[in-house]
Amino acid sequence: GPGVLTRTLLNSGVRVVALENDLGFLPDLQSLENSLDGQFKVIYGDFFRLDPLVTGPVKPPTVCSEKLFESMGVAAVPWRADVPVKIFGIVPQKKERNMLWRLIFAIYECSSIYRYGRIELNFFLSEKEYKVLTAKAGEKRTYQALSVLWQLGCEIQLLHMEPWASFLTNSKNGGLAIPKSTALPNDHLCLVRLTPRKDLFTGTLKTTNSATFVFMVKQCLARPSCRIIDKLNSWSLYDGCKLLRELEIPEDAETVSLYPEDYRHLFDALQNSSVFTESWFHDEVLESARNIN
Amino acid sequence: GIPWSILRNYSASTKEKAIGNVAYERTELLEVLKARVKQLQTSNVPEVTVNKAEPAPLEEDECRVRGQRTAAPGPDGEQSAPKGKDERLARPRSWVEKLRKEMYVKQLKAEQEVSTQLAEKQTKAKTKSKTKAKSKESLKAVAMPTWNQSPAGLSPACAPKPSKPRTTEVEDAKKRRPRRMPVDKESQYKMIEQTILSNLECFQFLQQPEKAEKLLLTYHKSAAKRKILTVAAYNIVMRSWAKKGCLTRIERLLFKLQSIGLRPNLDSYAIELECMGRNGSSAGAIRSCVERLKNDGFRVDELFQKCLFEEDENEMVLKAIRMIQPDYELPPPPNPETCKSSLLRSFYSKERNVSYPKLDFTVRELRERFQKQLELETSNTITIKSVEAMKPMTPQATKARELLAGLRSQWHDSILQALQKSKHEMSKASMSGSKALYPYLCLLPDEEYVSIMMEVINTLSPQGVSLAFLARELGSKIYNRYITHRKMRSRHLEKVQKVYENYIHLLAKDSQPDNSLPREYWEKLVAEIGLGASLSLKDRSWPYVLHMRLGMHLLELLVQSVKVPRNILNPRLESKLIPVLYHIYTFRNSWQVGLVKPHPILCQILADASETTLTFNSCVIPMLCPPIPWTSSHFGAYVLNDTRLMRYVDGAVQHQLLLDQCPQVNLHPVLDALNQLGNCAWKINQPVLDIIISIFNDKGDEKLDIPPPVSEAPRPPPVPSNPSLLNKAQKHELMLCKKKAAEMHSLRMDSLYKLSIANHVRDKVFWFPHNMDFRGRTYPCPPYFNHLGNDVTRAILLFAEGRPLGPKGLDWLKIHLINLTGLKKKNALQERLEYANEIMEDILDSADHPLTGRKWWMKTDEPWQALACCMEIAKASRSPDPAAYVSHFPVHQVGA
Repeated sequence: GPGVLTRTLLNSGVRVVALENDLGFLPDLQSLENSLDGQFKVIYGDFFRLDPLVTGPVKPPTVCSEKLFESMGVAAVPWRADVPVKIFGIVPQKKERNMLWRLIFAIYECSSIYRYGRIELNFFLSEKEYKVLTAKAGEKRTYQALSVLWQLGCEIQLLHMEPWASFLTNSKNGGLAIPKSTALPNDHLCLVRLTPRKDLFTGTLKTTNSATFVFMVKQCLARPSCRIIDKLNSWSLYDGCKLLRELEIPEDAETVSLYPEDYRHLFDALQNSSVFTESWFHDEVLESARNIN
Repeated sequence: GIPWSILRNYSASTKEKAIGNVAYERTELLEVLKARVKQLQTSNVPEVTVNKAEPAPLEEDECRVRGQRTAAPGPDGEQSAPKGKDERLARPRSWVEKLRKEMYVKQLKAEQEVSTQLAEKQTKAKTKSKTKAKSKESLKAVAMPTWNQSPAGLSPACAPKPSKPRTTEVEDAKKRRPRRMPVDKESQYKMIEQTILSNLECFQFLQQPEKAEKLLLTYHKSAAKRKILTVAAYNIVMRSWAKKGCLTRIERLLFKLQSIGLRPNLDSYAIELECMGRNGSSAGAIRSCVERLKNDGFRVDELFQKCLFEEDENEMVLKAIRMIQPDYELPPPPNPETCKSSLLRSFYSKERNVSYPKLDFTVRELRERFQKQLELETSNTITIKSVEAMKPMTPQATKARELLAGLRSQWHDSILQALQKSKHEMSKASMSGSKALYPYLCLLPDEEYVSIMMEVINTLSPQGVSLAFLARELGSKIYNRYITHRKMRSRHLEKVQKVYENYIHLLAKDSQPDNSLPREYWEKLVAEIGLGASLSLKDRSWPYVLHMRLGMHLLELLVQSVKVPRNILNPRLESKLIPVLYHIYTFRNSWQVGLVKPHPILCQILADASETTLTFNSCVIPMLCPPIPWTSSHFGAYVLNDTRLMRYVDGAVQHQLLLDQCPQVNLHPVLDALNQLGNCAWKINQPVLDIIISIFNDKGDEKLDIPPPVSEAPRPPPVPSNPSLLNKAQKHELMLCKKKAAEMHSLRMDSLYKLSIANHVRDKVFWFPHNMDFRGRTYPCPPYFNHLGNDVTRAILLFAEGRPLGPKGLDWLKIHLINLTGLKKKNALQERLEYANEIMEDILDSADHPLTGRKWWMKTDEPWQALACCMEIAKASRSPDPAAYVSHFPVHQVGA
């Protein structure tokens, strides 16, 4: 919209491409585009309806990342190159979790917008989701699969925190239209920068096997208080104890107490054993890949 | 259609308007309003009930329950007034509505309570099982997809019922679901109370009064916990002592119970007297006990009218009473009441002159059938040949079956070992969380637990089954088995048998006609034999959480103990034992669903073996004798299997409470209607069944609704070694293939069950006991094969008792056939008949050459029923006198 975000970006002098999903705002933005001499471009589309899972032609405001990048005139760069595009956005409260899952999966697969390189996201997120993203190992309520995957995948920087009270909300009963949260603080809107890590795909992790990694982490942290050794045994690993000893993970460790790096090491080790290729893991990964969206 | 919210607004606004008008034109509109209120009440708009009955209807109802227990006259008095009746009708509905919203929350809270009160320390295992318990509940609360179609725990496999994804149970919903709803204290207590009672009853069943008393006293001692205790809890412990004749223990408990402000009830006195009768107490002691009984406002006669006696309790109490009053005679049975509903007045008066219809069986035949049914239910499960057994066996199958047999005996041993080990550990553990389950693992012989667990492996669908569902099923299987054992031990079965032997005289063709209804006849017999109320079991169902926890524990043992050598199918691999079942999570939206899946190796072996036996719970098979008539909400249908009169979602306690609270006489029309349906005898239409089986065993036929085997499923594209290499379209295709295969599997299994059961009873006459749902829709209890099934199932059923067609019968059959085709829907009956006569040639051809002829029947709406009808018409029209032709053919009619 022609709101504060667009204005601030334009005033800072950068080239801005606006994705507008409301037809009502479009004419004004188009006239702005005409008057700004190439610094500004508006596209009818919704970033939060990017690359839908269903096959076939898409209807605007749903957009395809290929079309989007083509019209922005941005070409793909290698993963290790600098950030080609920065994306700014306010994530709809209802879609936060869904978006975070879709994006993290895209990062690990280098699909969707991440086919064009390490796209930097600058998102306004609710404080509770920010807390989840940055949760430390051992924090039972907050540390989740999402935390592990995002922390390994991206550098997470908090740029700004703004109390919810600063916003006028139009919920029908006059209250704040912000979901209540009991377990986590949720008093602010946080501007968070998520920059994919250059070194994500060094070592064993490849775009081809990353789905397995995501699946593994999700299975482990589905129940944070279960023991990692039980998980390994249920995957019919030959000698889980030995593996954990090598990785210097205590045998009775709960999955919630493993650091993101531990999961990465665990994956490296398992990738070298036969667990992933031979057991049922293979099928399940495939199935989970379709559920992720 | 119109969104629900609009309707809601509409109804609210009309009501407001109405209320406004009343203020001005009271007299004129009063009539209109009344009518409107009545209309709203009968259509069960929840708002009305809420308006009438305070903001907290649940609590109010609790009061009613209490009130009725202590002083009955209040609500009973107004029940004849139409207003009171309407309320009675409306209330269950508003409960249902409320339940939907609150069930989840209640469960959560209640469980928390249970956990803090019952167990000081929570072991990991317990916490885990709790999360699972919650999950199921939350699903029901959120989605309420279907009413439980089958009585709890009787479905032998997980695959069927294609339309209902069972795997949607949601785990760990707690994390994301805010708990904002107000929580009902009353039902919390109910839950904890129920748990304590079932724990105590467990010890009673195990004949361990010491342990029961120890448990009771832990509550009794704590000022906070004793609030949960009721007289019933003390009674259970006292009853265990009474069996051993320990009067001093009972006296001590009576003292304790009074010390915390409770009053002994009629049962308490019955127990005390029973114990006195058993150990031959002095007349003085008995006299003082009777004195106290009278001081508390009870009468001696009431003991024999109201108490539910098991085993020899009745005799013992009588013995004690005769010690002080040698000429004491049992009170005469209360006069049977008659339902006073105005709608049924004529039915209940007129039918007195008509004798109840007889079945075409002699007393001896019916008695033999009852014995067969009893044997079936006593053995709990039945293994039958599947219809696929008619196919020849391949050498591959022979090999796989041998392999499987070997594995099964290994699994059996390792499950047994794991069970015993876990019991041993539990017995040693202190009074902590896991200990609470220990008595429940001692109720049955170990072997029975093992065989119930083995069933899980045999029937697990390759797609996996939700953990919560499996756990619940395991839990309720154990419960049902325990109830069966209890019935056998408490001489309950013996009594039922005795009454049934006489009951069949009502139905048998070689005995005196009687104009009583089955229920009335049964009640009369019970009274004559002098059993009083003792035929209904003191039946305390286990709380839902308990089913789940027990199930989770067993499931965990199963997942841990059942293993298979990894190289069993591929000897080149190194040997290593791997788990046969694994527990994984799938993620739907932001929910986690726990699934138990079989290892692909097991699926492969099972597929190769293509076993041709099916094991079912005994209540899946239609009954082999006329069902036991429903005489109360606790008693009827099967001989041993526990069946609910009313179907309701698991975990709901209010429904049963309401039924118990309802005056028995008000239930009579319901019970009689169900008995009427249940007494209808059925048999199999063998020629149609044979045709269906031949198609089923060939390749199925989707057009004729005979599901093809999974081997006919579309082949998925070859999967590259790495799934990520697939593009979106390929993934999509793969997904569709998998989905299709899963659907086909469940459809196929569903049909397999239906046809196999039908084939099993192909030469028999059988009955379907019925129950109903909360709004009075009746259902046959056997879940797979019954007359409410699809076209295929309906086509293979015939009435066991035939009737001559009569002068117009053949015409009606023809009209029925045209109705089944879906043609001529807009034409008059006469035109339909004419059309039938026109196409008589097609009809006869269909009957004579169903698979090789012109196949007219295949193009109809209900092809299988149409085929069956064609055959019937052919037979009738070719008989020398169609009017005298005896037909067994059922014609389904819409009863709307």
